[in-house]
Amino acid sequence: MKFAIPVLLGILPLAGQDIKMPANLDRLEAKASEVVNVQLDGALIQLASRFLSDKDPDEANVKRLVGGLKGIYVKSFEFDERDQYNKSDVEELRAQLRAPAWARIVGASSKKKGENSEVYLKTEGGQITGLAVIVTDPKELTIINIVGSIRPEDIRDLGGHMGIPKIDIGPDKKDKKDKDKEDDK
Amino acid sequence: MKSAFIAACLLTAASAQAADREFNEVVRVISDEFHTRPTSIPLFGLVNIFTAAVRPAGTRHIDLAVFEHLSDRDRQGRNLSEALLNAVGRSWKPFVQVRSRRNGHEETVLVYMRQQGSEWKLLVTAVERDEATVVQLLLNADALARWLASPERCARHWNGEMTE
Repeated sequence: MKFAIPVLLGILPLAGQDIKMPANLDRLEAKASEVVNVQLDGALIQLASRFLSDKDPDEANVKRLVGGLKGIYVKSFEFDERDQYNKSDVEELRAQLRAPAWARIVGASSKKKGENSEVYLKTEGGQITGLAVIVTDPKELTIINIVGSIRPEDIRDLGGHMGIPKIDIGPDKKDKKDKDKEDDK
Repeated sequence: MKSAFIAACLLTAASAQAADREFNEVVRVISDEFHTRPTSIPLFGLVNIFTAAVRPAGTRHIDLAVFEHLSDRDRQGRNLSEALLNAVGRSWKPFVQVRSRRNGHEETVLVYMRQQGSEWKLLVTAVERDEATVVQLLLNADALARWLASPERCARHWNGEMTE
């Protein structure tokens, strides 16, 4: 029984997201061994945050961070084999994350692992209104879009909560060549 | 004995809630596609008496349909994914979708949610190689929060429990 489910995952409504999933990513769904899609709007995020403890420092921190969020959207692909997608597959996505609204603030790569992480910030009227993360490695592609007020450094603390995968974007992983702040402003 | 029976019937009636149209639609879509009907689960109504009283894991009501022994040979051949999407409609929020195709074992879990007063309904459709499960849960906010905190893990965990 081979369901045409990949198509379904591609056409699910994505209202509220800052970015649109390019149609060419649908093609990747057929190749992926696993596809995960998580969509949380502002009301659900605030509902979830009510149950985070104020006494536990980790949960209290997450509760504070999600206070200003209006949406969390995560889409991830995992592949059994390496190099099942091309750079061009995510170019259409990157094309949406351009100035003036968006600025790429971090480009971190690990040549050893072949992993590359990019963080984009959306600002409106001097206020941060969204954040996008693209993580690529030879067997994985993850796209995260967080809508609302969030600082880039907070993405690490949100990892593991509300469908956001743990992402290791730290100073130790930044490759000076790839660290890209030229787009910043 | 007779009064115990009447009490049981009253409890059953009190806990009975018609499944949402969308639950029935999803069941119908799978039934039509595979020319089959859900497996009969004897005395499932009693589960909801227990659930209404005890509220295990914050769940107050369960509607469940299980399809077994599904086969490609029985398929109608239409696009099941689109049919499921249309069956759920727009009044339910898409929440988490997991599609796994590891070790030749295909598994898809689609979770939608809808608010009903202070409670929440979850509509979960899980499709595997030769079986499918549709379940609608009426959850309190506490239970929903557990799903929200870790949606992907809950979806996987739920499907693992139901299909064991």
